[in-house]
Amino acid sequence: MSGELVEIKGEMTLLSVLRLASANLETIQEKLQNKRDSLPQLFDNSPLLVDCSPLGEACLTLDMLGLREMLLTLGFIPVGIRNIAEECVEKAMQAGWSVLRAGRATGAPSRLGRSVEPEMVAIEPKVTASTATSVKVVDRPLRSGQQVYFPEGSLVILQHTSAGSEILAGGSVHVYGSLRGRVLAGIGGDTSARIFCQKLEAELVSIAGHYRLLDDMDTNLKGSPAMVWLDGEKLKITPMF
Amino acid sequence: MSRIVVVTSGKGGVGKTTTSAAFATGLAMRGYKTAVIDFDVGLRNLDLIMGCERRVVYDFVNVINNEASLNQALIRDKHVENLHILPASQTRDKDALTPEGVGRVMDDLHELGFDFIVCDSPAGIERGAHMAMYYADDAIVVTNPEVSSVRDSDRILGLLQSKTHRAERGESVREHLLITRYSPARVQAGEMLAMEDILEILAVPLIGVIPESQSVLQASNSGAPVILDKVSDAGQAYDDFVRRFLGETVPHRFLEVEKKGFFKKLFG
Repeated sequence: MSGELVEIKGEMTLLSVLRLASANLETIQEKLQNKRDSLPQLFDNSPLLVDCSPLGEACLTLDMLGLREMLLTLGFIPVGIRNIAEECVEKAMQAGWSVLRAGRATGAPSRLGRSVEPEMVAIEPKVTASTATSVKVVDRPLRSGQQVYFPEGSLVILQHTSAGSEILAGGSVHVYGSLRGRVLAGIGGDTSARIFCQKLEAELVSIAGHYRLLDDMDTNLKGSPAMVWLDGEKLKITPMF
Repeated sequence: MSRIVVVTSGKGGVGKTTTSAAFATGLAMRGYKTAVIDFDVGLRNLDLIMGCERRVVYDFVNVINNEASLNQALIRDKHVENLHILPASQTRDKDALTPEGVGRVMDDLHELGFDFIVCDSPAGIERGAHMAMYYADDAIVVTNPEVSSVRDSDRILGLLQSKTHRAERGESVREHLLITRYSPARVQAGEMLAMEDILEILAVPLIGVIPESQSVLQASNSGAPVILDKVSDAGQAYDDFVRRFLGETVPHRFLEVEKKGFFKKLFG
């Protein structure tokens, strides 16, 4: 290891994003309180990024300081704001916001087929990275175009998965046939999640957001039983036995 | 209850209509009262393959819209007894097909005492294909030994498990794989997917392998289903396939490159 005491690295972290469709603080507070009360353990002291893209022009009327204080009272830790109008940047910074450069309005999960219903306040809950204990077993082949989405825990596929299929699990993924499609384990950020399969032919493998196309991977394990896991920042493919 | 069988594939041009015609004819030849329905509304083809294009008065869509009775629209086949054809409309599109309308036609065919209803699906995964498979009890998935055809069949197999009446009731559609246009010589040369590879990818019970054959095109052009050509290898393979569908155990043929025997060498 290098002897540096402090190290700054760019890293991807999963954050809850609060999408605002109204600049009215009272309405936001009311809606947000309902959300929080329905899942208190999920949102308590949870860092929150505010996305103003649905707001448009109304962004100018948003009370930046008030918003920040309201979020703190509700038990969130506001870490940043994005997609605000140029004119508001100054005001936001004075209110103690860190202004992030515009990101994609919708996060990665939406790209994978999960759409977030538009409402006054939409919140994409962060799936906890803690132990996900439940297991879902799929006993039929996963065909091209089919998707299994199981954020609550691990997935066991008893048969093969086809090219063009997609597996998404909060925990680990076990495939007892050939694995040909895309497979994403630890989608909630669980870096200890692993992918196990009898025959590795996948198009794409991903653990906790670290993804690789199998075509790019330097592996001689294609077609053999293999395990995919995360070693720090590096996605590794190793034999299972 | 009439047994409803959909002939489907996802990809176009793999031999769905040829198979539907041969299959329905084969069932009727064995004495089963059979109806074959063309679901390719707008691209009517089955009537040509069956050689009844000049006898189409009313069609499937007319029946769905109550513009004609089922008996008026059904065409009696001229080759085989017990076989009736319900042609598609050429002037309409697939939106004319509704689950209720198709369901009513299926019920009426059952009332008329049909043993088998063969649904010739259009290509694609849209409305026409969806309606063709919706009421099916069995599915014949037609695949060519070629990667895109295999992938499309895989997609169709997924839809059969989720978008059918049976799937909605928690039951499953019986799946059968039929490989068509198979050429053992080209497989040996590495130009075509081998049967084993296709089975490995799709993992569906194999019901038949139809060899690539000149006789298929000839049969199509002459309007007589290829199964009637007892001499051709494709005709025989289709006959084997029908027997297997009806529960007989028939070994697969035409999977190896034909060795030219002494007489073949002599007389060509």
